[in-house]
Amino acid sequence: MAETTPAWGPKDKHRLLNTKLPRVDGPVKATGQAKYTYDVHLPGMLFGRILCAPHAHANIKSLDLGPARKIPGVMAAIAGMTEINFEGTPIAAVAATSPEIADDAIHAIAVEYEVLPHSVTADQAIAPGASPVFPGDASVTNNIRRPPNSNGDPDAVNAALAKCDVVVEAEYRTPTLHHACLETHGWAVDYRGGDTATVYASTQGTFSIPRDAARDLDLPQSSVTAIVQYMGGGFGSKLQNGWEGRMACMLSKQTGRPVKLMLTRKEEFLMAGNGVGSWHKFKAGAMKDGSAVAIHTVQYGMGGLGGGRLAPQPYNYHFQNKYLEAASIHTNVDAARALRAPGNPPACFAMESLMDELAYKVGMDPLKFRKKNLTDQAFHRQLDKGAEVIGWTQRNPVPGAWPGTLKRGFGCAVGNWNGGGRPGNQVDLRIGQDGAVTASVGTQDLGTGTRTYIVAIVAEELGLDMADVKADIGNTQLGAAGGSGGSSTTPSLAPVVKTAAFNARQEMAKLVAPLLGAKPEEVVFADRNVSAAGQSLTWAQACKALPAAGLAARGTFQANLASNRTHGASFAEVEVDTETGHVQVIRMTHVQDCGLPMNRLAVESQINGGMVQGVGMALLEGRIDDPTLGVMVNSSFMDYKIAGVMEIPEMIPVIDDGDERNAVIGMGEPPSVPPAAAIANAVFNACGVRVRELPITPDKILMGLTQIV
Amino acid sequence: MPGSDKQGTGIWREGLSRRRFLKGAGVVGVGAAIADNAFVRAAENIPPAAADPATPIKGNVQITLSVNGEDRQVMVEPRTTLLHALRNNMEPGVTGPKLVCDMGTCGACTVLLDDKPVYGCLTLAIDAVGRKITTVEGLGTPEHPNAVQAAFVEKDGMMCGFCTSGFVTAISGLLKENPNPTLDEIREGCKGNFCRCGTYPHVFEAALAAAQAGQAKTGQ
Repeated sequence: MAETTPAWGPKDKHRLLNTKLPRVDGPVKATGQAKYTYDVHLPGMLFGRILCAPHAHANIKSLDLGPARKIPGVMAAIAGMTEINFEGTPIAAVAATSPEIADDAIHAIAVEYEVLPHSVTADQAIAPGASPVFPGDASVTNNIRRPPNSNGDPDAVNAALAKCDVVVEAEYRTPTLHHACLETHGWAVDYRGGDTATVYASTQGTFSIPRDAARDLDLPQSSVTAIVQYMGGGFGSKLQNGWEGRMACMLSKQTGRPVKLMLTRKEEFLMAGNGVGSWHKFKAGAMKDGSAVAIHTVQYGMGGLGGGRLAPQPYNYHFQNKYLEAASIHTNVDAARALRAPGNPPACFAMESLMDELAYKVGMDPLKFRKKNLTDQAFHRQLDKGAEVIGWTQRNPVPGAWPGTLKRGFGCAVGNWNGGGRPGNQVDLRIGQDGAVTASVGTQDLGTGTRTYIVAIVAEELGLDMADVKADIGNTQLGAAGGSGGSSTTPSLAPVVKTAAFNARQEMAKLVAPLLGAKPEEVVFADRNVSAAGQSLTWAQACKALPAAGLAARGTFQANLASNRTHGASFAEVEVDTETGHVQVIRMTHVQDCGLPMNRLAVESQINGGMVQGVGMALLEGRIDDPTLGVMVNSSFMDYKIAGVMEIPEMIPVIDDGDERNAVIGMGEPPSVPPAAAIANAVFNACGVRVRELPITPDKILMGLTQIV
Repeated sequence: MPGSDKQGTGIWREGLSRRRFLKGAGVVGVGAAIADNAFVRAAENIPPAAADPATPIKGNVQITLSVNGEDRQVMVEPRTTLLHALRNNMEPGVTGPKLVCDMGTCGACTVLLDDKPVYGCLTLAIDAVGRKITTVEGLGTPEHPNAVQAAFVEKDGMMCGFCTSGFVTAISGLLKENPNPTLDEIREGCKGNFCRCGTYPHVFEAALAAAQAGQAKTGQ
């Protein structure tokens, strides 16, 4: 009966894992006791603020910090970046005794700008005579950066297209999006002039902090501790450290006092990254039997000053002939950062819209058309399940044919994400002589429920209750941990927790077996008891057999405990008001595979979250830059709309238990990929208007309706 | 209308959509400049000159705020918001309510003023003098949560948790007024709150469960 290597065991035999577990840090979050970086208050702490440039492209002719320094309560004022090539460039910062005084100080700084020509939108950037974003860069022409190679043979594709029964030629666009983390980016730097510092940061990478902080504090990296107990959302934008951290350190170094610098909401929009915009130009053909034959794709990603990487087309679909040309269009906008499954939701919207158009043109049920061209059977299973949950049979196959002015429609889409695990986490499990069990690792919890699955894995292995185990995370004094990107945290960490708990159990069995008159391999850990050979000790009694220092065990990354490659299928039922153009999503479901769910409640929360962000992407969200002024005109939550309670339909999250993989897969990103595309396709089915540029706002619906005869 | 309710202060968010709220924001701006003299006069330790309506108030004033049943002395500027006063000007700070949008759109700063939800970022600290201020910390503790807090944990009505204080407070306020709300009434009660992780479906479940728990408790 004694296992020699850790294994998850049968999926349906878990006591805690794969069940619904309330998160262990829920009580402190629900009562306002959880301390985020924003909540850190230190003795003598100053409040930092940044001055952002109000122009997309400019030279600084003069910068006078003097007036700010004269304000009582202002303790330091420093200069920042000197080259302005996006609105929001952080050019100065202050530290003051209150946020109100810091605000006064920012407004007192005198700056004279020489405003230069800019390119802030894709259309503006590629127009003849546009202002170059990277002048002198040989790999950029007309603000388009092309990779050295394209993919496929365009001549073969064109020849195949000529033989197709139906051909769709269409362009799809999605705007630049924003992460809109509720806790803005920022650090609280506790440095008081000594030779050590502690940095509290709102970050996705706890262990990325000491190196960057040490540089600006002029301290050895090992003298800086980073603490990330709770953080208020990242979605990919907090994987890198920006000027908010640099300036907090510089101000703290200069004043010898703790400084907290959190971005304002406007700064968060302007200088904390964004999600890549997209522009696809497709020409694709299919045969009357529904087989997809050929596709020619030109794909532009709009990543501002950064790259604009998108998922390569034709995404999940099989075409016999394909050609892909991918490039980035640069603009004078802050560089894009990873945004929840970076580059996938926009590419998914484009491809799934195209597949829908092909299906209607062929005259086939879009669901059947998809299945005919999806080779991966997981999608078939999920499409069937989703169709059943949403009630696909109620769908009217003729777009716009629903009676009346409130028209119902149904749409679907599929998406994928990789999300595998990797080595690099160190978990220390300690069992005290008093019975206390603590699993420690320096990792951060972005809201996924890290503490909860750590506790559940250990409690299940040792036959304990959740309340018997403590998870200690978010501190660089603890074991090393990787950054939370690519849905890699759980599949990287859970296997190490599992092996640490397994090793602790083996070790403890050896120590307790003699007390039970049994062999170590006969010892059973269950119901908070340690038993063998008809004898039983309570957990507390068993732990008394441990040495005074207790028992310590470590885990290792065991690759077969994690997996990668996910599939998801989204369905939406919408109602379009053809008199106002308003779209209301009525119901949504998303079917998601995830290997072995660590916590079904948290996975459902992630699936819901993916659908909610899909509603925002489909109907509400999009950065708007004014091409004349070169400024973002909707840099607030008043104008950059994210989905709120009134937009939320009935949502049915479905964990795909048909997935037989018995290994851990990350769930942060996968469910966020196809929901927006499903909504867009439902809108077409409802009213017959194909909106090819997100978000689907009422004006686009009404304009589209005027073009339907 | 906000800014013109009979108490003449506070930013009543109850039953107000963001759009309707905006219409009243101009009035609020004026209120901020005049700094509601009646309440300033009621505040303690204000130099006589400052209490004269004709004299603009400058610098810090000391006021007493009743926070979660405790009188807290706090130094504020007339422009200091209730949210900043709670978070930054008290020791220890009351940090449950969060600053997120700073303009009355997201609800993360929601506190109860005389049991009604208000935006802490749009309420001046001096306007809260003499009023009962309840934050998420005053509703319950991890050991003794109120029904809403317990239901948020049970239903997983939170992920990163940064919006959670606001939702819990708004829904607790709603249930004081309407102990047995429909799902539509729950939406109305928290439509001034944003969540970016997308916890809304579980938030609705939690609110309904809390209402049910409350009904069971009162024997209805």
